[in-house]
Amino acid sequence: MSSSALEAREERWAKKIALARDLAADFPGKPSSLAVLTLRMPAFLRTSGRFSSSALSMHASFAALLREKGIGIPREEFRTGGDGPESYFSVSLDPLELKRLAIEWESTHPLGDLADLDVMDASSKPITRADLGFSPRKCLICENEAAVCSAGQRHETAIVEARVNEILLASKKNSASLASSIGRLALTATLYEAAAAPKPGLVDPHSRGAHRDMDYLTFLASAAALGPWFSEFAALGSLHRGEPIDLLPALREAGKAAERDMFAATGGVNTHKGLIFSMGLLCAAAGRLQAAGRFPDSATCVSEAAAIVRGISERDFASVGLRMAAVAAPSAQGVAAASGTAPSAQGAAAAGPTVGERLYLAYGVRGIRGEAEDGFPSVIDHALPRLRADLAAGLSMNDAMIDSLFVLFTIVDDTNVLGRAGREGLSFLREGAANSLRLGGMTNPDGRAAIRAMDSLLIERNISPGGCADLLALTVFLELLATAGSQLNSGGKP
Amino acid sequence: MEIKKSAMAGSLESSDVLVTVAPGPGQGVEFKVESIVIKQFGKRIRSVAEEVVAAAGVRNATVHVQDRGALECTLRARLETAIARAAESA
Repeated sequence: MSSSALEAREERWAKKIALARDLAADFPGKPSSLAVLTLRMPAFLRTSGRFSSSALSMHASFAALLREKGIGIPREEFRTGGDGPESYFSVSLDPLELKRLAIEWESTHPLGDLADLDVMDASSKPITRADLGFSPRKCLICENEAAVCSAGQRHETAIVEARVNEILLASKKNSASLASSIGRLALTATLYEAAAAPKPGLVDPHSRGAHRDMDYLTFLASAAALGPWFSEFAALGSLHRGEPIDLLPALREAGKAAERDMFAATGGVNTHKGLIFSMGLLCAAAGRLQAAGRFPDSATCVSEAAAIVRGISERDFASVGLRMAAVAAPSAQGVAAASGTAPSAQGAAAAGPTVGERLYLAYGVRGIRGEAEDGFPSVIDHALPRLRADLAAGLSMNDAMIDSLFVLFTIVDDTNVLGRAGREGLSFLREGAANSLRLGGMTNPDGRAAIRAMDSLLIERNISPGGCADLLALTVFLELLATAGSQLNSGGKP
Repeated sequence: MEIKKSAMAGSLESSDVLVTVAPGPGQGVEFKVESIVIKQFGKRIRSVAEEVVAAAGVRNATVHVQDRGALECTLRARLETAIARAAESA
C-alpha cells in the first residue's frame, strides 16, 4: 500500500471515530451506530476510479435497505478519498442489529463480495461478524478466510483483479439475464398450457371450448404480449430489497400495464387477466429468490409468493364489500348474484368489482387471491405431483398437463365456472373430471374417451374452467423452473 | 530512540493494523500482539515488530499491535510511524 493510501486510511479512521463520538449527540438517549462502506479489493483497484459508479450504487442500495426497514439515516455521506470511495451512515439503531443488516446486504447484493461494511458503536468499537456468531468472510478466490489470504498475499494480484472484474461484469448482466430467463419459462408455460389438448370447455388448438369471442390464436397473441411482462415481474422481484409485502404495489402497477397490452393484443378479450396476477407473482418470487442466490424450488417459490400477497383477500374484499354494500343496499341484487342465474347483469349493475370480487361476495370463494396467499395448495399438493408422476411414468408433456388439469377440475372452486354456471356447473365439472380420472385419465383409452366427451357437455352448460387453466400454467412454470433452475442459478449471485 | 509519549498509527479497518507505542513500564520493550490471523501469522507479526523496534533503537517501550489482517509492508509502515510519533517531544 502506498504511503498516501496509508495516510488516507488513518484519516478515514479518524473520521469514523469522530462520527462515532457524535452519535451520542445525534441520537441522545437512543441506540446508535455507524456503518462505513468501502471497496473490498486490492488498494490499486480501489483507488483506480474504475469502481466509483459501482460504489455509488452500493451506497444507494444499502441506504435503500435501511429505509425499507424503516430506519432513517440522518447523516449520510459518500466521498472518494485517497483510499477510494467511502460511504458513511449514522443511524439510530442497535450496533449489532446494524451489523446484521450489513452482513445481510453483503451476502445478498450482487456486488456484496466487493464491499466491506464496517459497523462501530458510539465508543468506536468495531462490531465483528464473530459478535453475531458469523464465521469470517471467505476469500474472493478460494475457500479460506479472506484475512488470511490477503495478509499472506496468497493469490497473485492478476488473479484477484480478474475475479473482481468477473463479479462486476456478472452483476451487470445478472439481473437482466436472470429476469429474462424466468420470464421465458413463464411464457413457455403459458404457451404449453394454451397448446395442451383436449381441454374440455377451454380454448385449445382444436376447439374454442365454451367461447365465441376467442380462439387458440387469440391466446398465442395474448401470450406474446405478456412475455416481456413476465420478465419485468421477475426483474421487479430481483431488484426489490426489504419486506416481501412491500413489493406488491409495484407488481400491481406492472400488472395493470400488462393487462392493457393483453387487451390490445386480443382486441379487448380477457384471455389471461387472472394469469397476469398469479404468474406475475410467481415470476417476482422466483426473481427475488434468484437474486438472493437461492434455488427457486417449487415449495420455496410459492411460499415466497404467499409472503408477497399476505392478507390480500382480506384487504381487497373488505373494500369491495363496502363498495358493493353502498351500491346494492336499496335492492336485492346481491341475492340475485348468489343464485348464480344472472351474474353478468349483476356485474354490469355494480360497476367496478372484478369477477373475483363479485364471487367472493356471492359464494365466499377467495379465488386466485386465496390460492396465492395460501401458497397455491392446489398446484403444490395436487396438480404438480400429478404432472411429475405422469412425466415420470413416461407420458408426454401434453398428456401429463391434461391429467393435471383434470386433477385441478376436481378440487378448485374455479371462479370462471362459478361466474358463468354457478354451483351446479361446478359440481357437474367436478363429477365429470373425477369420473374421467377414475377411468385412468390420459393413461388409457377409456379415460381419454371420457375426457374428449366432456368438451361438448361443458360447452352445452357454458362451463369454461379458466381458473384451472391458469393454475395449470403455473404448475408447468414451477416444473420448468425446478428443472431449469440449476442452469438459471449460475446467473445468480456469483 | 527514546519513547516520550503514547502515540498511535493505523486503524482497526480490515487489512490494516493499529499500532500503539508508549513509554515502557521499566527496562526493555514489552510487546502485546492481537491479530485476527494470529494462528497463521502471529509469530511473524511478533518478529517483524521486534525487528522494526530494534532497528529504530528503541530500548524501553510498550508496543501494542492490533492487527486486522494487514500486509507485512503495512505493518512495518505503521510500526515506524507510531515509533516516530511517540519519539517526538510532547
